[in-house]
Amino acid sequence: MRSSKRTRGADRRDVVDDLNRLMAEETEACLRYFQIRFRLRGKDYAAAEQFFEEAIKETMEHANAIAQQIRSLGEIPILRINLSLGGDPMRLEAALAEALDVEQQALDAYKDLLPRVTGDPALQEFIRRQVEVETEHVQGIREFMHAKATVKLVAKSKSGP
Amino acid sequence: MDTWKEFEANELTHSAAHHLLAIHEVGAAYGGWARVSDIARRLNITRGSVSINLRTLKKRGWVETDERRLVKLSPKGLRVVHSVMAKRVIVKTFLCDVLGIPESQADIDSCKIEHLISHSTGQRLVQFLQFLTSGAPLNQQLLKRFRAFHVGCPESRTCDVCKGEGRCLFDELKHAI
Repeated sequence: MRSSKRTRGADRRDVVDDLNRLMAEETEACLRYFQIRFRLRGKDYAAAEQFFEEAIKETMEHANAIAQQIRSLGEIPILRINLSLGGDPMRLEAALAEALDVEQQALDAYKDLLPRVTGDPALQEFIRRQVEVETEHVQGIREFMHAKATVKLVAKSKSGP
Repeated sequence: MDTWKEFEANELTHSAAHHLLAIHEVGAAYGGWARVSDIARRLNITRGSVSINLRTLKKRGWVETDERRLVKLSPKGLRVVHSVMAKRVIVKTFLCDVLGIPESQADIDSCKIEHLISHSTGQRLVQFLQFLTSGAPLNQQLLKRFRAFHVGCPESRTCDVCKGEGRCLFDELKHAI
């Protein structure tokens, strides 16, 4: 059975709209991470380079997976993003705080969608998995931020009187 | 500071004004509290963008958030919203009632200008509107005459408005993209 029969009518339209929005969240996050790397300097850049490289890859993979879900519902993905990224050099703490905001919003968006796809086991499973993955990301960023803060505190106390 | 730089350095950016207005509109039915998802839908942008933009608004003391990530205008933010809304009405009224611009175009133009004009300019515009629409026969006549007036460029291509620029400002706008 084609997936497009899994959900019907207005419900399906709404779900596709939400999936398009989620795809925009992921794609936009990818572009943000791409640009943020160039706002970091020196030690900050070295410390976060791998994190942002992975984030770029993962967010694009997520966007692609969502697009596949939309396609399996019989629709063509619609990508609407309105983004202009500039700004001054950025400290790692601020970059991670932005990343946390973005990931937290994506997690909330997946959570909001989950109860609305209960009639579609395949999509439900996909969204459930995304909730798990995004929860891990949010947790990961929090831990990274905490670790950076701890390193700073230790460095400060060592250099103290 | 040059005026064009002032435009960019304006404390209240166009984006910030729209975020504040969206929070005000979305929150109206919920005691002022708005969800990031609803603000994003209203502004047609992603939740991530709203969330990041909220950081600036929060820093300026215009919004407050709670532990559920709901957003509300602070008293300071509400004052900003009220002043933006007032300026939008003033500019729109001026464009429609005095200049005779169609409402749909006046909506677009007033939206672009609302957060940029100073309070004093806004107040003077209110006074000017009051003056023109006060019902005094002379003022009514003035408005009537203005509406019947059609711009005409003299042979010399200069007038009191163009001030010897050597080109007709009216024509320049006529051929603008």
